[in-house]
Amino acid sequence: MSADPEFENLVKLYYRDLYRFGLSLTGSEADACDLTQETFYIWANKGHQLNNPTKIKAWLFTTLHREFLQICRRRERFKHEPIDQATENLPEISADVVDRLDAQTIVNVLGKIDEAYRAPLVLYYMEDLPYKQIAEVLQIPLGTVQSRIARAKVRLFQLLNETAPPIKQTQ
Amino acid sequence: MTNDEAKQKLLLYRGAIDDADPQFAEALADARRDPELAEWLRQQNSAYNAIRAKLREIEPPRDLAETIIRRPAIPFHRDWTQLLKLAAVVIVSASVTAVALKVLQRQNRPGAQGREILVRGEVLDMTCYIAYNLSGPEHAQCARDCIRNGLPVGIKGENGKVYLLVGKTKPVNAELADYAAKIVTIKGKESLRDGFAQLQVEEIRKF
Repeated sequence: MSADPEFENLVKLYYRDLYRFGLSLTGSEADACDLTQETFYIWANKGHQLNNPTKIKAWLFTTLHREFLQICRRRERFKHEPIDQATENLPEISADVVDRLDAQTIVNVLGKIDEAYRAPLVLYYMEDLPYKQIAEVLQIPLGTVQSRIARAKVRLFQLLNETAPPIKQTQ
Repeated sequence: MTNDEAKQKLLLYRGAIDDADPQFAEALADARRDPELAEWLRQQNSAYNAIRAKLREIEPPRDLAETIIRRPAIPFHRDWTQLLKLAAVVIVSASVTAVALKVLQRQNRPGAQGREILVRGEVLDMTCYIAYNLSGPEHAQCARDCIRNGLPVGIKGENGKVYLLVGKTKPVNAELADYAAKIVTIKGKESLRDGFAQLQVEEIRKF
């Protein structure tokens, strides 16, 4: 079957970012591929309803996230840890800790964070989206996005420090 | 603003992308004056950039883009008659399967029990096959999903004859879903209902 060149360009432009978002949400390569495919499949059927071409990227991310939430509801197999409300103790993390980890380990650590917090955190790190646009993608209020990212970031630092404890400097 | 308050604010600061965001202005000004806060912010930004770089190292499988581009999409929005046609086929096929099973279960009429035969051929998702003539390896994933979800399953024999596959007392979808679009040999009892060939599955042999 020959593909529509416009559709082909759109896939080539966004499939990497969508796949990374999917992998960070699910922790599974197969699920990330399925989510990415499903997102473009929905676009092929419903994308014509979007009137503003500048919103295509946000539309695709919103769709992938919505599909992910549906999968979560169907399977109830994505594990997560609820995040404490308090963020008064800000853990510190050095770039050295992160450098000692590979991308898959970071994805695995993200998988331990409650989904409601994980999605905004992933967009915070991976996409150059202003907070207002992250709120639009996830369809939650701006204040909620920011508080979730702050809490999730604290939790991420705790988990990363546990995964790769900082090397103590000897005198 | 205290140092702790500034840190709470700057926890969300990502560098250049957030420079124009007024919510960070006061805390950034504090960081310019306070070396301890400046050092904390520098570490935060280094960690942010390191995590971002790691996540952006992730590469999708090589064939993903091609798979998406070549995947046949059912153009629901372009032609509603296609959707109606599909819905009609699903309803008719499901009804045929349900009625056939009920009759087999309750009445056990001699006419429904035919001779035992072996059919070698491709396992079909009958809905897509009848509505769109979709089959073969390129359609395997869709066929697997359709069969697993309970849509009618069939087999196209090497002689081109298509049979609706039914179980003795219950559907055989679960047993056949993994063989979607694959070549198998099925031993079963052939029967004909209103001109529709059926095979009551007794044994599945995969090649």
